[in-house]
Amino acid sequence: MTLSVNPAMPEVVSQSENTMVLSMGPQHPSTHGVLQIVLEIDSENVVKADPEIGYLHTGIEKTAEGLFWTQAQTALERMDYLAPSSNALGYALAAEKLLGITDRIPPRAQVVRVLQMELTRIASHCVWLGTHGIDLGAISVFFYCFDLRENILDLQEATGGARMHPNYIRIGGLNGDLPQGYIERLDAVIEKFPGRLRELRGLLQANPIFQDRTIDVGVLTPEEALQWSVTGPALRASGIAYDVRRAFPYCGYETYQFDIPTRVEADAYARFLVRLDEMEESMRIVEQARKRLDTPGPVMIDDPKVALPPKETIALSMEALIHHFKLISEGFRVPPGDVYHAIEGPRGELGYYLVSNGENRPYRVRVRPPSLYNLQALKGIAPGNLIADLVVMIGSLDPVFGEVDR
Amino acid sequence: MPSTQNPPLSGAALDPTSVRPPIDDATIERIAPAQLRARLEALKAEGYAMLLDLGAVDYLERRPRFDVVYHLLKLPPKPATLSEVGTPARLRLLCGIDEGQRLPTAMDIWKSADWAEREIYDLFGIVFDGHADLRRIQMPLDWEGHPLRKDYPTRGPARERSPRPAFASKTNVVAGTPPSGRTLEALQEEVKRARES
Repeated sequence: MTLSVNPAMPEVVSQSENTMVLSMGPQHPSTHGVLQIVLEIDSENVVKADPEIGYLHTGIEKTAEGLFWTQAQTALERMDYLAPSSNALGYALAAEKLLGITDRIPPRAQVVRVLQMELTRIASHCVWLGTHGIDLGAISVFFYCFDLRENILDLQEATGGARMHPNYIRIGGLNGDLPQGYIERLDAVIEKFPGRLRELRGLLQANPIFQDRTIDVGVLTPEEALQWSVTGPALRASGIAYDVRRAFPYCGYETYQFDIPTRVEADAYARFLVRLDEMEESMRIVEQARKRLDTPGPVMIDDPKVALPPKETIALSMEALIHHFKLISEGFRVPPGDVYHAIEGPRGELGYYLVSNGENRPYRVRVRPPSLYNLQALKGIAPGNLIADLVVMIGSLDPVFGEVDR
Repeated sequence: MPSTQNPPLSGAALDPTSVRPPIDDATIERIAPAQLRARLEALKAEGYAMLLDLGAVDYLERRPRFDVVYHLLKLPPKPATLSEVGTPARLRLLCGIDEGQRLPTAMDIWKSADWAEREIYDLFGIVFDGHADLRRIQMPLDWEGHPLRKDYPTRGPARERSPRPAFASKTNVVAGTPPSGRTLEALQEEVKRARES
């Protein structure tokens, strides 16, 4: 039996008489974006699953090559649209490494970066949990999750002015200090969080339907996980406690108290539990960062070649005016070299391989998107399962297509 | 205060990786395509269980032209606690190849090389020998060219600006007379009269 899925695609031919080929997506609601899976099925059992990606390819890596170092960050922030700050931070840290200014980032900026990262992680996991619940028929979880996420987006809006892509983290520090009234709103979120998480756990964790659908579904053994380069919560649910925050600490993560939740069951339910525990740990870090916010200080590096001069000095100092003009009109130059820097995004190791040739634009920006590799593991775990379980597996791997396709 | 504003080095455009000492927490190796396969297998046996990433860079004027970059991570292939994982070793393997040359696939060593190699083939046009399913992954299958190459145009062909048709060339209008019938002379006359009165 043959089926031409798409005029631009090769003909998909099923291998045996008993199987048929079915295209799932790219408009399927449970594929979390534009994912097409070419399935070979024997009645309801998946024989082979081949995800087709690229529907959201926007050439962000190519775009970044044509922009200044600071401008590229704006484009790159749009990759993982559920955790924009983590994209920005990974790029900023890699660029700072190339500039050789990593040690000179002010401590307050580091604290706020950690705060942003962990809030982003919670917000991102909220979307994952809400949509994962919807996939399995638990509609009400979605509203609780999005309510909590909305509080965090409000905080993001206060920092950078935009709900989704605040563009708050910059090379050399931050766009500006936290606004007035931010701490009080942060405290409200911190206070609200434990109760909300308890509700989320109460809705799903002991829910027999949810357990039936997720336990022993999509088992990813540690060997398989490494073979497919799976990172983040999915790897930790397979028992390997690899977390970039602990293995290669950045932004002073080594000074915070937090645990790395792991599980050994390696199924969709284990990944669910790991993410929920992770939200709790993230909140622990947020609370510690909150205490450190009481110490005031600068939030941008004191280097006029990288940081814009303070607004009030521009009218008074010729130097400041020149620097401002140069930074805006031609950006700063970065010494030649190549660097790889990774951070722990909500989905796993988000790595940046940057190459500079000494110009004011990056020569090459290669992103290691965690979602791409995590999603690829679907090819390994889908065969032998039911189509209905495929939806659970996609949800438990938590791909974001802005990042998979870039 | 040390300035970060260094002038670009001469020849820096050719190969930035050779002009600056490594500033990473990774071991960096450079290898020829002929030894690549054996080295990757040896590294896998040494415990580099994860192929973190596989990317490529196009140094347009350098020979060999491309660098294919393997990022490897040493992890225990079994459930491991935080202390067992510790700070795992990272290794970066750079393999320079020229246009038209091919690389052996790493797909049978690490399964995750599958999509990574397809992406490099799609965006750079580098062919991996032995890859089971080497076709485009991000771009449509009928796409021409490899977008991440440095000589790939970033914008389409310039469109010719169509000349604005001259007023007189319109067929339904008598030359020099606007549709209202009020010619310039008539208008000037009108203004003049208004001023005088």
